[in-house]
Amino acid sequence: MNVRNEENLKELFEKFVGGEQAERAVEDVRKGEQILREHPASEPDGELIARIKAEIAASLQRKKENAFRRIVYKTLVVAAVFILLVTIGVELFEKGRSEPERVITSSIIPEAVWESERLADDDADLATLIAEIEQIESELLAVQLGENGGNGHEAVTELEMELIEINSDFWKG
Amino acid sequence: MAQSNNLVRMITGCKSGDAESFSQAVDMYASRFYGYFYRLTGNREVSNDLLSELFVKLMEKISSFKGGSFESWLFKIASNIFHDYLRDKHRRRKLFEVRKRQLASEVTEAKQFGSERIDKLQTQLGRLDADMRELIILRFYSQASFKEIAALRAEPIGTTLSKLHRGLKKLRELMEECGKSGDQVIR
Repeated sequence: MNVRNEENLKELFEKFVGGEQAERAVEDVRKGEQILREHPASEPDGELIARIKAEIAASLQRKKENAFRRIVYKTLVVAAVFILLVTIGVELFEKGRSEPERVITSSIIPEAVWESERLADDDADLATLIAEIEQIESELLAVQLGENGGNGHEAVTELEMELIEINSDFWKG
Repeated sequence: MAQSNNLVRMITGCKSGDAESFSQAVDMYASRFYGYFYRLTGNREVSNDLLSELFVKLMEKISSFKGGSFESWLFKIASNIFHDYLRDKHRRRKLFEVRKRQLASEVTEAKQFGSERIDKLQTQLGRLDADMRELIILRFYSQASFKEIAALRAEPIGTTLSKLHRGLKKLRELMEECGKSGDQVIR
């Protein structure tokens, strides 16, 4: 209201129209507004005002209750998350502290052989191989000396083939 | 100054959700806003609804009030409420029907109870261009300056001045015409 009273209507109109025209415009505005003042609108019912106030009070109460409920829910959620995290943390901590599991390793070399101090006796395959080599050596020696008849060259070749075969079988395991 | 302090206290109270402050706001503004809605719609029931809606909106939006003229801010909300109301086709149609019935009943009522002056103004306001009518009513009930009204309507102050001047002049002419024809009927 104060702002409007301080307003100089004539000055305002003079910014857009000439002095005389501005004066007439101000007069028109004053007379027009006088009509509105002389014809006041009806007042709102007291009942309506009371109802509005009651609605506002009820709505504020609901808002407060909802705000409280939200706080409670939030607190519960935070607490639940906290408890969950603590539980997980404790579980992880306990796991970390338990004894390490025995590492089970396997090897292609049998344990008896691995721990043996006399390999030639403890490894049956090796013993067989050694026996075969010794037999071949003796046969080869006999062939070289011509103990088993005339065809010595073929026999040597045959032995060599046998040796190669044994060798490859050995590496195949 | 004291009034300004009271207003600041009331706004602060409303912002903090104090029911008493809202109650104070209702006492302070209900009459003016009721007049504003009544002059725009010409219907008591609709004005009651719009007034209730205004205070509900005040409650919802008070936290967004960042200073400046509180009344202009409130009138902006009231204006939006009125425009929402107009946009509602169903209610618009209802308004038209109710308005027709109401005008008929008001004329009868005026004759019965001698409240002719109020009806006459309402009828003549109804004959003005809608935008002009709204401006006149906004200016009268908001008691805001032209600068504030122009800002509220998002138009240049020259346009506001010119529209209001033409509107009020037209309203005066209509009222005078109505008065003359009334006199002639009486004679």
